[in-house]
This record gives sequence, C-alpha cells and structure tokens, in this order.
Amino acid sequence: MGADLLVVGLSHHTAPLDVREKLAYPEGALAAALAAVLELPSLGEAVILSTCNRVEVYAATRAELAASALPAAAGEVARFLASSRAFDAERLSRHLYEHTGPAAVRHVFRVAASLDSLVVGESQILGQLKSAWGAAAQAGSIGPLLGRCLERAFGVAKRVRSETAIARGGANVSSVAVELATRIFGELAGRQVLVVGAGKMSDLAARHLRADGAGAILVTNRSAEKAAELARKVDGVARPWAELPALLVACDIVISSTGATEPIVTAAMMKEVMKARRHRPIFVIDIAVPRDVDPKAGKLDGVYLFDVDDLAKVVAENLAERRKEADGAERIVLSEAAQFVGWLRAQGVVPTIKDLRERFTQVAQAEVERTLASGHAPGDQEIRLMAERIVNKLLHTPLMALKQGEGDEAEALVTAARRLFALPEERAAPAPMPAEPAADAGEAAETPAPRAAREKT
Amino acid sequence: MPGAAWFWAAIALYGVAGGLYLGFLVGLKESATRAARAALVLGFAAHACEIGARGLAGLHPVTSVREALGLLAWLTVGAYLAAGLYWKLHAVGAFVAPAAVAILSTARLSPDPGGGGTEGLGVLGRVHISLATAGVAIFALAAALAVLYLVQERQLKHKHLGRVVRKGAALETLDTLVHRCVQVGFPIFTVAMVTGALWSARRAGGLRPEYSLSMVAWAAFAALLVARMTAGWRGRKAALMTIVGFASAAVVLGIYLARHVGA
Repeated sequence: MGADLLVVGLSHHTAPLDVREKLAYPEGALAAALAAVLELPSLGEAVILSTCNRVEVYAATRAELAASALPAAAGEVARFLASSRAFDAERLSRHLYEHTGPAAVRHVFRVAASLDSLVVGESQILGQLKSAWGAAAQAGSIGPLLGRCLERAFGVAKRVRSETAIARGGANVSSVAVELATRIFGELAGRQVLVVGAGKMSDLAARHLRADGAGAILVTNRSAEKAAELARKVDGVARPWAELPALLVACDIVISSTGATEPIVTAAMMKEVMKARRHRPIFVIDIAVPRDVDPKAGKLDGVYLFDVDDLAKVVAENLAERRKEADGAERIVLSEAAQFVGWLRAQGVVPTIKDLRERFTQVAQAEVERTLASGHAPGDQEIRLMAERIVNKLLHTPLMALKQGEGDEAEALVTAARRLFALPEERAAPAPMPAEPAADAGEAAETPAPRAAREKT
Repeated sequence: MPGAAWFWAAIALYGVAGGLYLGFLVGLKESATRAARAALVLGFAAHACEIGARGLAGLHPVTSVREALGLLAWLTVGAYLAAGLYWKLHAVGAFVAPAAVAILSTARLSPDPGGGGTEGLGVLGRVHISLATAGVAIFALAAALAVLYLVQERQLKHKHLGRVVRKGAALETLDTLVHRCVQVGFPIFTVAMVTGALWSARRAGGLRPEYSLSMVAWAAFAALLVARMTAGWRGRKAALMTIVGFASAAVVLGIYLARHVGA
C-alpha cells in the first residue's frame, strides 16, 4: 500500500517528429489535460511535460492502492494520452515507454539533469520541467510525492551541472559564438558586435553575446530598411552599408550572414582593417552560405574566422566532451535516485505505523478504563488480568492469520512475525522430534498456539 | 649542502604542483588547481628558507650564476603566484612549476666549482647579477605565457578547441600579460646590461663574447616594445619575439654556468 511513481511518455529516442508534434500539448491545453489525468481511477498526482522532444506524464498513484496497481495505472495513462490527442492507441503504444517505482525516479532525474536530452547537457529542459511543475501546481495536480520528486530532480540537475562538465562548451551556433569570443577576448564587456546582413542566426547570436555582457550591437545591411528593422529587434544601432570597412575596424566581434554570392570581405580588405585596428584581434563568425568572408582573411594574424563548418566542428567537439562527462553524471543520478527511493519507501510505511499505534493504544486504553470502572483501586489480580486481556486482544488477529495461513503465505507470515517481534531464530525450526519430550514440553508453553487457545476461553 | 632539507622539500612541492597543473590540463577537475597552488605556495616558502639557509652559510644568491639560478626560479614562481592573484592562469602553472624544478635542480645539483662569496664581485657585480636574475625571471614567466599563447592561438586557428584552449586563459589576457611582463622586465634587464658592461670593463679581460648574446635578448625585447607602440605588434609575433628574447638570455646564463662549472 502507498502511493508510488510512474512515468508514461515518448521522446526523441522512441518517436519520430511527426508523432511527437501530434502528441504535444499546447500550453493552453495543459490545465484541462491535467484535470483529466486526475480523474483516472488510479492516479493521485500528475505533471505533464510537453516539449518538442518529449511528451511525458509523471504521476503518482493513489495512496490506498497496492504497488501491484502500478501497471494498471500506467495503462490508464497510456489510454488517456491516445484519447486526449485523438491518436490511434495501438500506433501510439509502439512509441510509448513506461517506468514505474525506482525506474520512474531515475528517469525523472535523468531528464532533469539533461542526460536524456537530444543534446546532452543542454539547459533548456530544466526550465521546461520547472514550467511543467508550475503548470501542475497551478492546476492543483501536484501533491507531496511528485512535488518532492521534482524538487529533488531540480537539485540533482544543479549538482550534475556543478560537479561535472556536462554543460560546458556550447552545443549550438549561438552559444559556441559566445564561447569562442570568451576564449579570445576574456571579458566581453565593452566589445562592440557588428551584425552584417539580417539572417535569423545573426539575430540569435547577437542576443546571446549581448546577454553575456557584450557592448553595443551595430547592424549593417545593403538594405537600410532591413538594417533598421534588425537593429530594432536586437536593440542595436543601424549603420550605412558603405561604412562596412570602418565598422570592421571599430568592432571586435562580427557576425555575417548576407545573401551575397561573392565574398563581401576580401583578404586585402581585412589586411587593411587589421592595420587600422593596430592588429587588435577580431573574431568573425561567417554563417552565410556562400561565405561572406574570404577564407584567406582567416589566415591573417589576429583574425579568428569561423564559418558554418568550423562552428559545426566545434559543436561536435563540445558534444563529444559532454558525452565523456555523462558517466559521472549518471553516477550522481543513480545515487540520488536510490536515496529518494529509500525516502519513498519510508513514506509508504508511515500510514501503517500510524494505524498500528492507534489500534494498540485503543485496546490498551479500553482495558484500562474497564479495570478502573469497578470504582475501587485495582488489586494485583485485576492488573494481571488486564495485562492478559490486552495481550490477548492485540494478538488475536495476528495469531488467527498465522494459524489460517497456507503454503508460502503461512511461511511468510511466520517469518514476518519472528522478525517483527524479534523472536529467537531457533524457534522457527520444525517441531522437535517426539524423542525429546522435555524440550518439547518446555517450549510448547511459550508457543503462540496455547496463548491463542487461552484467549478463546 | 646548506639547506638541503629545504631544497628537497621545495623540489618535491614544485614537482607536486607541476604534476597537478599538468593533470588539470589533461583532464583533472579545477579543484586540482587549488591543491596545485597550495603546493606551489608551500614550495615557494620552502625555497625561500633554502635561499635563507644558504645565505646564512655564506652562499649569497648573487654570488654566482649558479646561485643566481636558484634565486631566478624562486622569483619566477613568486611572479607567477602574484599574477595568479589577479588572473586565472592555471594552465601557465603547468609550465612554471616544472621549469622551477628544472632550474633549481640545475642550480643546486650541478658540480660546485668552489669559490663563492661576494667579496670578489664588488657592488657593481652584485647589482648586475641581482638585476639580471630578476629580469630573466620575469622574462621566463613572459616566455611561459607566450608559449601558452602560441599553443592556444594555433588551436583556435585550426578551429579546434583542445584542452589547453578550454582550460587556459583568454588569448587577449595572455597577450596583455606577456606585454606587462616585458614592460616590467625590460628596464630591470637594461640596468643589468649597463652595470654588466661597466663591471666587465673594470675586470681583466673586458667584455666577454656572451655579452653580445645578451644584447640579442635585450634588442629583441626593445624591438618588441617599440614595435608594439608604433605598429601595434602583438599576439603571435609578440609571443615569438618574447620567446626568442628569453631563449637568448637563457643561453647566456647557460654559458656562464657551464664556464664556472668547468673552471
């Protein structure tokens, strides 16, 4: 008995994009979906994580259900996912995975720590998980068990990021641009960024650089209108196209992505620029195809030119480094999950402990009241009888169960009783041979059966 | 050997620090650099005690090139530790600590030509050796930084973010530090050159041939400073010039040492 955790869902590991995008929940539909999940007979708590790479339901079963109800609960969630997104259940089941108990905890921790992500170590998933947690809290579908599990998952993610280098090194063009700029210049504060052209990637990279402390963003484009538009978007300043050489002299970081078919920055132009810069280094990110900057310019001293392929190479290197770090992160997840499962198990026992204590107290109190009801101070004999009645009443049900148990169950009950009441091991041995009557008689007086018999009198 | 225990303690601690810094470059976590720095600080202290013990025994650090080398290693480590207070230079430690082991071992374990004592040197000789040692120590640090710069610059030019790039300081930081070291070391070395010339002129035999090699070192650093100021020379060229300058100065030291040992 006691609530347990389960995860049902699909991810980039098990489902292609067309399945994922069909199953994904739009933000506005989450609250209704959470309410519907809570109406499932077996579930007490639920969180829905819906991103472009995964759709998963994290749930806790109702406290009154046995652990054996977990597969049934998982089945309910799977059917719910299919029906709520108008998906063929049979087809969906081919992509779904189910994790229950400790495996569910490990999965949630791995997802939070970005070990299950398409790009291992990426930080977005943690934010998405926090949003999912927030949506569930708002919908009132999160309770103490799932809440605690997710809070721990956030802690595990933080630990993994601080104790391993899993998140080190950019995993996309924008973050690699920032990483390279930092490797070249150190602090980015005060470094001017020049955006040439108006590609979407330039916009993203410029924003990333700004977020990491870079100074003013200057934008230039053959079309003054487009330059002004992009400048508005990135909170930069538009400059005329004719000023390009002067802008190259003034800025330390250049992101170029025009649609030009010929290089707009030649090696000769860059040579002049470097002279004018007094050879201060310049970092040029050329994400245009065909390239905007003549590759020969990258051979000049102080010019650090990275084109799309170079950036892809750095991303691949970073990802390889991250994968190396994943082993250490997996170890952290395993140890944290084991700790959490230990806590979870302890929580499952709490109601039983509480009921047991209440029941014993009730019996004892009733007998004490009965003894005192006589109106005079109880004598020795009355106190002894009271104690015997308490013992008999407390033992009645367990002893009946012991006597009536059959086969494996009987054996399990005997073992549990001996363990729970710390009875000596040797008493569990088979009945002594008739050839040892003295021992037989001595022990028989203390075996449960005669006590039970007395209780009936 | 006076201060032998301190010497071995310094060598061991520098060795541990060097090992940890190198380990950091090839995969150890950043916490290793804290242990490395602690070992280097302790080694620096032990080395100071060793120099002190030798001084008390009459072997002053500026007695000879051999003694000065011990001081040079100590000053280089000190300059690195001081720079480390302001900049993150863990990767540089992987050059400085092993260099300190090599220089200190050369100074103490090479055969002792005998003699010693500062009596024969005179004030000029002592000033010359002190300043030359301090200057070369600073150039040694500059050269270590320049080597790191070149390694990182090469990796970046080849679009490969190797361990050194990932764990070293930023290129511009290294370039600035090389320049600062040269700015500080150059005037000291210049005075050492002048006092050396005066001192040699007073001695029998006059200027020695290796003095011209010292001039190469001095000229390299002078050219570097001028080129940086006028033409904005920096980066790779500046790093190469720094290494050439230091190498010339180191060869001069080597010649002096060989001559004294052989004498």
